[in-house]
Amino acid sequence: MKIEVASISGNKEIARGIWKMDFDCPNIANNVSGPGQFINIKVDPSWEIPLRRPMSIAGVKGEKITIIYKLFGKGTKMLSELRPGQSINILGPLGNMFSTSDKDSFPILVGGGVGIAPILWLHNELNIKSVSHILIIGATTAEEHFLQHNPNKNIFLTTDDGSMGELGTVVPTMESKLKEVTSRSFGIIYACGPTPMLKAIHRITTGYKIDCQMALESYMGCGIGICQSCVIERKNDSPKEHSYGKRFSLVCRDGPVYSADKVILSSRYFKVSGKKT
Amino acid sequence: MVDLSIKIKNVEFSNPVLVASGTFGYGNEVNELVDVNRLGGIVTKSITLHPREGNPPPRMVETPSGLLNSIGLANIGVERYISEMLPYYEELDTNVIMNIAGSSLQEYITILERVEGTSNYLSGYEINISCPNVEKGGLEFGVDCDLTLALTKELRKRTDKLLIMKLSPNVTDIASIAKAAELGGVDAISAINTVVGMSINPQTRKQNIFTGLSGLSGPAIRPVGVANVYKIFDAVDIPIIGIGGITSADDVVEYLLAGATAVQVGTANFRDPGIGIQIIKQLFEYCEEHNVPSIRELVGAIRDED
Repeated sequence: MKIEVASISGNKEIARGIWKMDFDCPNIANNVSGPGQFINIKVDPSWEIPLRRPMSIAGVKGEKITIIYKLFGKGTKMLSELRPGQSINILGPLGNMFSTSDKDSFPILVGGGVGIAPILWLHNELNIKSVSHILIIGATTAEEHFLQHNPNKNIFLTTDDGSMGELGTVVPTMESKLKEVTSRSFGIIYACGPTPMLKAIHRITTGYKIDCQMALESYMGCGIGICQSCVIERKNDSPKEHSYGKRFSLVCRDGPVYSADKVILSSRYFKVSGKKT
Repeated sequence: MVDLSIKIKNVEFSNPVLVASGTFGYGNEVNELVDVNRLGGIVTKSITLHPREGNPPPRMVETPSGLLNSIGLANIGVERYISEMLPYYEELDTNVIMNIAGSSLQEYITILERVEGTSNYLSGYEINISCPNVEKGGLEFGVDCDLTLALTKELRKRTDKLLIMKLSPNVTDIASIAKAAELGGVDAISAINTVVGMSINPQTRKQNIFTGLSGLSGPAIRPVGVANVYKIFDAVDIPIIGIGGITSADDVVEYLLAGATAVQVGTANFRDPGIGIQIIKQLFEYCEEHNVPSIRELVGAIRDED
């Protein structure tokens, strides 16, 4: 964990409302462990935006870190206005990572909405390790996609309006791929995205009795465990870790990646309301 | 050479910048980022008799220049504090002050006695009196002079260590509460705790914090903190520790001029865990620039006229 003033080397819109930023931050980049980890960005040097913005890492190349973010509110708006050459204060790397096994599990990676970044990084890591896998990315419409739908390469894009790839959400595509995969291997799902998507995925993976790891979001104050804000509800039998009890878990320290059967996704507290703008 | 040191009772602080309870965990979370020994002191997260899970989320929301929070005193409880944290504090070279919260007079007493019964290197106790008293229908200790006096007296009897009462601004007359604490024998007053606030989402029509009402902190409340310190300084003869929205040395000086002997940095730690250290450096520069040989000269030194 370090704080570093990083120099921005690129910041552009790669699809409608989806931005990609690269910056040089050797100290943090050298300490990164893997997909799922995030950084916490001080977007506003003044106090108009009091808190840092947690952003999942989308890739690390040498001393460069890439994030992919969706324009959502004033924090991400301010982020999108930064230009190459400008600097930005970063805290990281934070959080845990997806755990990947060497066994021939033929993973399925599912990303939707703001949850593309860690899934994309995992996709690239698995490619480097030559691990066969399926990538499914969802968006509302074609303009929000920056990848190409390519079933031959096991890359499936979905759109709510059918304007690109498969029609509908990522869920039916995932289920049909899961049927194919589980007929010949263990199957494991890695997912990140909006809560309704995660709930649907969990329902399906529970039915198929296969592992599902999810990178979760939460309203985060500090990112390092001192404010105790970013809790999610977990199953009470889980061992206590960084939060002070058994019922709640700190996403910043215990997460953001959780095994889907260790958290209560149906919890009335598990919601995206109160998202930072 | 500038002297930033201060003394409250018999406790010496290398500088007047402490970190506030609830904004720095137990002091060991940020080891990789901050050399905590350079701080004037650490006030640790409120400890209750039994461990507490805290409130359901959402627990925090941003507001203009501030934050609302309602964590619900999530903490490890006094026994784990004793077994896990006290040995760590023994290794530190800064003042560690334990913040205590209770729901009854007896709970405060039990916690303090339990810790006093150990050999420890704590510099003292800060008492969070913004807690509902279950024996008085949920009335907060800190809004009532008699409750504050009784609590202070009972705790004073049981420790010779530095004893600080942390006052709430959500009262009609903070000076009278401070006087009650002084009468009860405390060594210092810290002020202020968070200001009651609320935020509602106009789209969903839901409250943004699970508990509805919550505590406002950050630069938004700095003028409230400064005003309360100013009022307390006029009313008591014991030192005051100023809290509320401190982000820079200028903010520290503002509090000192209003009457604070020391300060606690709170919400700013969430943005920059090392902000306390930066402020100490800035404070040194301020004193050099303004020919202030000792920081103690600034306490209550607000100028009334040209």
